[in-house]
Amino acid sequence: MGFLTLQSLSKVFGDFTAVRDVDLSVAQGEFVSLLGPSGCGKTTTLQMIAGLVEPTKGTITLDGRDITREKPSRRGLGIVFQSYALFPHMTVAENVAFGLEMRKVARPERDRRVSEMLGLVHLASFAERYPRQLSGGQRQRVAIARALVIQPPVLLLDEPLSNLDAKLREEMQFELRRIQRSVGTTTIMVTHDQAEALSISDRVVVMEQGRMTQIDAPYRLYERPATAFISSFVGKMNRIEAVWRGGRAEAAGLGLPSEAASLPDGASIGVAVRPEKILLGAAGQGLFDGTVTSRFFLGSYWLFNVETPVGNVVVSLPNQGAEPVAEGALVSLGWPPESASIVAAAAGAAA
Amino acid sequence: MKSRALTPWLLVSPATLLFLGLVILPLILTVILSFHVYDHTTGIQDSFTVEHYVRVVTDDYYLAIFWRTLRLAFLTTLICAVIGAPEAYVLSRMGDPWRSIFLLVIIGPLLVSVVVRAFGWSMLLGSTGLVNQSLRALGFDSVRLLYTETAIVIALVHVMLPFMVIPVWTALQKLDPAVEAAALTLGASRFTALRRIVLPQVSLGMLSGSLIVFGLSASAFAIPGLLGGRRLKMAATVVYDEYMSELNWPLGAAIAIIVLVANLAIMLGYNRLVETRARRALG
Ligand SMILES: Nc1ncnc2c1ncn2[C@@H]1O[C@H](COP(=O)(O)OP(=O)(O)O)[C@@H](O)[C@H]1O
Ligand SMILES: [Mg+2]
Repeated sequence: MGFLTLQSLSKVFGDFTAVRDVDLSVAQGEFVSLLGPSGCGKTTTLQMIAGLVEPTKGTITLDGRDITREKPSRRGLGIVFQSYALFPHMTVAENVAFGLEMRKVARPERDRRVSEMLGLVHLASFAERYPRQLSGGQRQRVAIARALVIQPPVLLLDEPLSNLDAKLREEMQFELRRIQRSVGTTTIMVTHDQAEALSISDRVVVMEQGRMTQIDAPYRLYERPATAFISSFVGKMNRIEAVWRGGRAEAAGLGLPSEAASLPDGASIGVAVRPEKILLGAAGQGLFDGTVTSRFFLGSYWLFNVETPVGNVVVSLPNQGAEPVAEGALVSLGWPPESASIVAAAAGAAA
Repeated sequence: MKSRALTPWLLVSPATLLFLGLVILPLILTVILSFHVYDHTTGIQDSFTVEHYVRVVTDDYYLAIFWRTLRLAFLTTLICAVIGAPEAYVLSRMGDPWRSIFLLVIIGPLLVSVVVRAFGWSMLLGSTGLVNQSLRALGFDSVRLLYTETAIVIALVHVMLPFMVIPVWTALQKLDPAVEAAALTLGASRFTALRRIVLPQVSLGMLSGSLIVFGLSASAFAIPGLLGGRRLKMAATVVYDEYMSELNWPLGAAIAIIVLVANLAIMLGYNRLVETRARRALG
């Protein structure tokens, strides 16, 4: 039994099911991300845990206690809202102190904990500012401090980084993880950004249209996506439409190496290969040849679109300093069998 | 270059002319009029005096009326704030069809003439009106409501309520609902969240609502005229009396100017007091 568990949690708005039968068990101190595209029910799930949205069905337990019908003010969870929801008429220190004030913590103790928390998020010198006098990243840290100062058993973060610019977002990812590590609070973060989810979570929960489709460690999610949707949503993925024949995948008359599978002959399948797993070589030396149609330089790596007999294939190559093959060049492509997985055929492609 | 510098002036000129012609000019004429000597037999003289002002500020009759005007306007403002702010909050939390319907119910009365509404209240509150009939039916003694300050305040509140609800509602619209939710999750009760988080943020809306309600109540004419009767006068009705029954225009003008200045001083003072405090926090 986990520290925080959700059991067949569902939410129906009118005749629309926003969250459907979500089961999740989070261990104490764990950092779990809910990952999914916009509108898949992440915020609704988080707000049910927080007590701001009443579940239609299912139970939520915290440390063995059923909190499904408990008021948000009694649950004592720390929540960072997507808009941060800082109190605009209170200073940073007053914002952070609010939760302690509600808990009737005595003044000296309150002041001590507020300044300690502001120190943790590196905002000690901003205590007397108002939220409107802060930058986005600073506001976000105030929101985190405000949620953490009450020493909540669980910290809930709703897209905490989505309002920040790219550079700051990256910095704050690590900052968030640092803060979480140092206080050891069980954390659930909602995000639609797969890079964010992969980089800071212990486990990632993928949601699609209100359902949970995979719960796994980030690298396993990346290497072993459970559904076609996940494989395309998490990182880049090539999928080559193929047919299973004689114990291997075939496309355009070519045999494609892949992991083993037991499928009936003639089954329509997809072969999924990550761009970075494909090896580029001189023409004629790989599985098949193709022509580089376009090439993009992305700093740490290069990205190629290669036109091949089996369709367009995206290949990425780490930037080693020298300039790689040019557009229009003839190249060969190949990959070891363990790098390609067999996935269900795309809808419509089924024979 | 020259024409560009002129453009703003040209653009504001119609409004400026209107303002000068319809507000400033009559006001100046009223000020001048208030200093004219008045004689009961020969009327307004061409000589000047401050006698009217002295008389108004020393005569208990007028002072009582001023005092009543301020008191009733203040009471109306207070009641409007107490009723209007929660009303606006409930309104802002309503679902879609109901919100529009109730907004219409609140604004609807503005479409009916104040005089008509004052007559409506006088029918309700009269000695044989609906209120007293109900009281008698329930076995209570009938109460005298019409031609009392109570009647004036009831009717003023009814008329002024939209002017409080609308600015507060507008302020609530700008509020992020997550802010209130945040307070709840931090352990605040619903009431505490309202008092500590929502109320301070709509205080500017309440301030502007209060200013409108106070200003309009202090200068209300039809309601005190119809529901206060001959005896219970307020500032606007006494000015009317001086002009129309006593024909002492300079005295009426002096009262009008004093009411204007007092009203202006109170509103500006109040505005400065609350607004600077609210602005400092809300930016
Ligand atoms: N109060 C509500 N009433 C009706 N539908 C809602 C409500 N809240 C959310 N939804 C719907 O539920 C779905 C999931 O919403 P949400 O949980 O906010 O998605 P996410 O956070 O993953 O973007 C959306 O399609 C949204 O329109
Ligand atoms: Mg969301």
